[in-house]
Amino acid sequence: MAVKLAVIGVGKDFLIPVIDSVSFTVEVGDFVCLLGPNGCGKTTLLRILGGIEPATRGTVLLDGRPVVADQRHERQVGIVFQEDRLLPWMSLRDNVALVLKPLGLDREARHARAMHYLRLAGLQGFEAYYPGRVSGGMRQRAAIARALAIEPDMLLMDEPFGALDAQNRRIMQNEVRRIWHETGRTILFVTHSIEEAAAIGTTLIMLSARPCRVRELIQNDGSVERARLVDDLNTMIMQEVQRQQGDPR
Amino acid sequence: MSARDWARRLHLPTLAALAAVLVAWTLLSRRYGAYVLPAPSSIVTGLADIVWSGDIWKHTAASLSRIVIGFGLAVVTSLLMGLGAFISPLIRVVVHDVLAILNSTSVFVWIVIALIWFGLSDWAPIFTTFMITLPVVASNLVEGVASVDRQLLEMGDVYRLSGRQKFTAIVIPSTLPYLVAGMKVGFGLALKVSVVAEIFGVTSGIGYIMNYSREILATQMVFVWALVMILIMGATDKLLFDPVARRLTRWR
Repeated sequence: MAVKLAVIGVGKDFLIPVIDSVSFTVEVGDFVCLLGPNGCGKTTLLRILGGIEPATRGTVLLDGRPVVADQRHERQVGIVFQEDRLLPWMSLRDNVALVLKPLGLDREARHARAMHYLRLAGLQGFEAYYPGRVSGGMRQRAAIARALAIEPDMLLMDEPFGALDAQNRRIMQNEVRRIWHETGRTILFVTHSIEEAAAIGTTLIMLSARPCRVRELIQNDGSVERARLVDDLNTMIMQEVQRQQGDPR
Repeated sequence: MSARDWARRLHLPTLAALAAVLVAWTLLSRRYGAYVLPAPSSIVTGLADIVWSGDIWKHTAASLSRIVIGFGLAVVTSLLMGLGAFISPLIRVVVHDVLAILNSTSVFVWIVIALIWFGLSDWAPIFTTFMITLPVVASNLVEGVASVDRQLLEMGDVYRLSGRQKFTAIVIPSTLPYLVAGMKVGFGLALKVSVVAEIFGVTSGIGYIMNYSREILATQMVFVWALVMILIMGATDKLLFDPVARRLTRWR
């Protein structure tokens, strides 16, 4: 399989090193979950991969071309944030259609594509609603539809279901899994929930406590029983939390 | 619609209070005479008089045209200040301080300065209106600009929206409600302030005619013109600013 994303020795300092040095590769069509204890730098790493923030050191290659913050490159990356970040004064359809403007599509094509991806995200019939009139889960679906609509080379998701209740979370996990199957996109999904990662990821990357390193890379191909896997990951995350607390720094 | 809803819509308690005031007013007017306190009935006839004679349109138009120019210039200047504050943090600090100074300056200061600079002309009330309404409209707008959600702007960056696309899709919609709120307060203030400035030096407008009525001992006309001002204020709020504000926030 071809390599989609290569992360080579990426690090970030905010006065102290937050991310030490992280290296891994993501193959085309992978569903990678980035796991780690709270505050280990998962979000920062995702922002570097998405080209929102510059790395202090290291390189990120998307399809072999470097991702540099604040520098335009022709590769498209769709990002779903922790918050939905929809414009409250635009209907769900217009929210999705807005991000298609830079792609140079005409008005009709933008609307058609927005409708298509909203339907894919299970929002048929709600296209004309304002974000404030639908539930949190539906807003997050719209945010996913928006990220998919630009037909990105890669989809980055930063704890997109963090604000949802357990039931909606489960539903959305299944939805993302389904969308991944239907679109075949490469997805990088940040979460601090082990159950979530084990349920949806094909590759799990466990990050260490700050300063962040890759602690373990696990293929979630069903060779290890789900319950075992969750147990092992729980043990690892507890070790990391303890290490962080015991750290004299 | 039920009887109760109608009662609320008509502001019945307010009307009841008004009726009580009118009765007391009539009694007091009998006691002290029309020069001190004209009877409510004379105000009604006075209003009818100026409507028939066309004076109401002449003076209202004169006042409103001055307000529209002074207030309009204040809105345009506010927009430039808001844009500056959006573009540069340095300009935002300067604008903020300038507005704080303007905000704490008395109406009378501007009237006196206007008379010195512009003499007995239309520009005195226009200038006064401008200087008084500018800080009100501009502070609101600058506050609106400062409150634009950074997370939404970052979203715009991620999806490669151009500066212009971000401005029209994100910045303008989030600041417009602040602008309209500032304009509503500013317009009310403009009406109150410009009539004061009209006492000096001009020969038309509501402020002029009120002062003239006082001089010729037609006290009831002072009340009539005060009523006209109240009606103008109510009409612009209900027919202009409130519908616009509602339309801008219909997504809420």
